Amino acid sequence: MRLQLAKQLLDQQIVDREGRLVGRVDDIAFAVDADGVPYVDCLLSGQGVLGRRLGGRVGRFLVSVAERFAEQTPVPPRRIPLTQVAGVDSAVRLRCRAADLPPPPMETWLRRHIIDRIPGAHRASR
Amino acid sequence: MRKLLAATLGILSAIGGFVDIGDLVAASQAGARFGMAHAWVLLVGVLGICAYAEMAGRIAAVSGRAVFDLVRERLGPRVALLNLVASYLVTVITLAAELGGVALALQLATGLSYLLWVPVAAVAVWLVLWRMRFALMERVFGLAGLALLVFAVALFALPTDWGRLGHGALHISSDGTNWSVYWFVAVALFASTVSPYEVFFFSSGGVEERWSAADLADARSNVLIGFPVGGFLALSLVAVAAVAYHPSGTALDTLDQVARPVATALGGAGLAVAVLAFFAVTFGAALETGLSAAYAVAQYFGWQWGQRVSPREAARFHSVLLVSVLLGVLMLMTTINPVQLTEYMLVLSAVVLPLTYLPILVVANDRSYLGDRVNGRWMNLLGAVFLLVIIAASVAAIPLAIITRMGR
Repeated sequence: MRLQLAKQLLDQQIVDREGRLVGRVDDIAFAVDADGVPYVDCLLSGQGVLGRRLGGRVGRFLVSVAERFAEQTPVPPRRIPLTQVAGVDSAVRLRCRAADLPPPPMETWLRRHIIDRIPGAHRASR
Repeated sequence: MRKLLAATLGILSAIGGFVDIGDLVAASQAGARFGMAHAWVLLVGVLGICAYAEMAGRIAAVSGRAVFDLVRERLGPRVALLNLVASYLVTVITLAAELGGVALALQLATGLSYLLWVPVAAVAVWLVLWRMRFALMERVFGLAGLALLVFAVALFALPTDWGRLGHGALHISSDGTNWSVYWFVAVALFASTVSPYEVFFFSSGGVEERWSAADLADARSNVLIGFPVGGFLALSLVAVAAVAYHPSGTALDTLDQVARPVATALGGAGLAVAVLAFFAVTFGAALETGLSAAYAVAQYFGWQWGQRVSPREAARFHSVLLVSVLLGVLMLMTTINPVQLTEYMLVLSAVVLPLTYLPILVVANDRSYLGDRVNGRWMNLLGAVFLLVIIAASVAAIPLAIITRMGR
């Protein structure tokens, strides 16, 4: 797959097989193969990752917010192996379902502590 | 009939923007102080919002993505974050103003202080957002907002001098008042017409309704019916205030005064319809602004958003929604006058307008999202001219607010 990483991959929306929104490509992890050639290994997603990429006061703020809602610190980024990527058009489309990926920590925290406690949280409004 | 129902998204978006609490206040004040001299502002606003909403709808239909979803990809995470913070703040202040409007409408209906109604209104708004289907929501409040037509009807019962109204619209004068006040009112009215959250809501709503390229015609009819209807309703507000208050030069600063001419013209029934209309448009706009605030945050971070999934599957989205409504309530509980809050909100909206409209123009020219459906030459010309108007309003807003001391 030929892609301009900064233009076509970074900051793109990630969408799973069923159209659920997984997150954004907040950063990219490289690995080096046996011949010393670097390649894209994983897409990284999460506010903490974005915060570290942005840096500065704003970045630190994002990281601290992400850590507040996480079970463990530092918050590990959600890693999406490139092998799970089916294609890239106006979004990055995955082969798998969002449920098969590690859940986003903030979503899990808010679901457990706030949203699930409100009656009707399980029903889609349609 | 189906076409009409299909247009309710546009009508609701338009009602939110043209005739929400911002317009009830700005349009009526403009009418009371300057007669019809601001009619052209509404015309320019309608034309501009139609052009930009068409672009936003086209982007949503072709790429399946809301416009502001694309801002981060196009402008980078830093600029987009700045944009997010500014838009979020203005949208939440607008939400507070709308909740205040709902509470004021309930005060008009019951005589109980609006402060008692604020928590009730907030809970009701949140419940609708929590439970109601998107399509039903836009239909109920889009159509109920049409009750505002009572203002157009009232014009026929009032001693309206149509010739003078028309003359006032064509021969613009500041009526002896300072021109800077005239322009301040113009900027406020303009900002209420093209409120940023309208396009947030319209394009995200298109995605919620799963528009595809095949729905482009629908998207267009939404725009071409909805926004002009909203503009017409706002114009009738200006006209009623012009007929009732302009001759005597009465200042207008309560919602009660906005409704009074309708009561004079059509009696108790007219007043009841007007109050119902106030309730419907402010409630609809509160829904819109609440959703828009949460859309903006969720789309920046790529979270699952929308009414199609259960709240627990969009826990972050629904948490932001909840927090935004609470922030709105807190703002009102400082006992700030909702009408004044609206006036400040309009100035702030005017300032951030370019942050909303520039990205739309950029994305609407991007072939990687739109393929062959990018803007044509005329659309770009219209868009560019309108963008200049927006920038002028944005730059002028704060100096005018200071010079005129918020138009006093």
